[in-house]
Amino acid sequence: METNGLISAAEASAALTSAKQTRARVAWTGYPAWYWLTTAAGLATTPFVVLLPDWWDLAAGLPLVALLFLVAVRASRVRGVCEGWTGTAMRWWEMGLLYGPPVVLIFANAVVYRFALWSPILAAAATAVLIFALFAGTARRLSARATRP
Amino acid sequence: MSRPVDVEQTTTEDGFDLVIHAPVRLRLCAALDPVREIEFGTLLTLLDISKSALSKHIAVLADAGYVTQRRAVRDTRQRLWLALTDTGRSAYRGHVAALHRIVGDTRPQNPRAT
Repeated sequence: METNGLISAAEASAALTSAKQTRARVAWTGYPAWYWLTTAAGLATTPFVVLLPDWWDLAAGLPLVALLFLVAVRASRVRGVCEGWTGTAMRWWEMGLLYGPPVVLIFANAVVYRFALWSPILAAAATAVLIFALFAGTARRLSARATRP
Repeated sequence: MSRPVDVEQTTTEDGFDLVIHAPVRLRLCAALDPVREIEFGTLLTLLDISKSALSKHIAVLADAGYVTQRRAVRDTRQRLWLALTDTGRSAYRGHVAALHRIVGDTRPQNPRAT
């Protein structure tokens, strides 16, 4: 078996797996349930914010972003993990999996609204339900995966 | 083939770190690496070890200059927050890169992909 004089390749591989699992636990565990639900609800309101006329969408969007930020800070304190302003323990692909579908849906809803392809209220309501379900469901699934031994 | 060990820094030439390599300390560093700081109680839950064992490993990492501790009061209780120092972070990443080399993975390692 290949070694570097200190440990074997199998031991190194086990150590890497253990480090990987720990990072995943830091990224996904300890979040209170209200954090995922509030963030999902916040993202789900975005399709309705888009419907607001003139500058009202911006006026409504800013407090929404501030609210989501405060929720994230509060959740971070509850978890006992400070990720910093720009840092996160999540991997890029995990963030893409979590936030990607809601972002795509928000843009799709904006396109539907812009080109009047469907009833705006119905489209926003359907998008909101999808965003909430996708975000909360993905968060729950990835959290459960990270806690598995 | 054995590699020379720098006693002062406890690392081999290829970045393998003897202080970090202990399983609990490796997991402790893996937990602290992607974030700014973590509370002691949270680390206990994450690593699933006893208070005394965690304190012992933190002391070893702190002695090596890899971890800093900060006390802060929240909800009328004093809490201990731990963070990797720059030296600790670079030692941990070097150690992980060395582990990748041992398993034969020579691709450049992205810390976010560890």
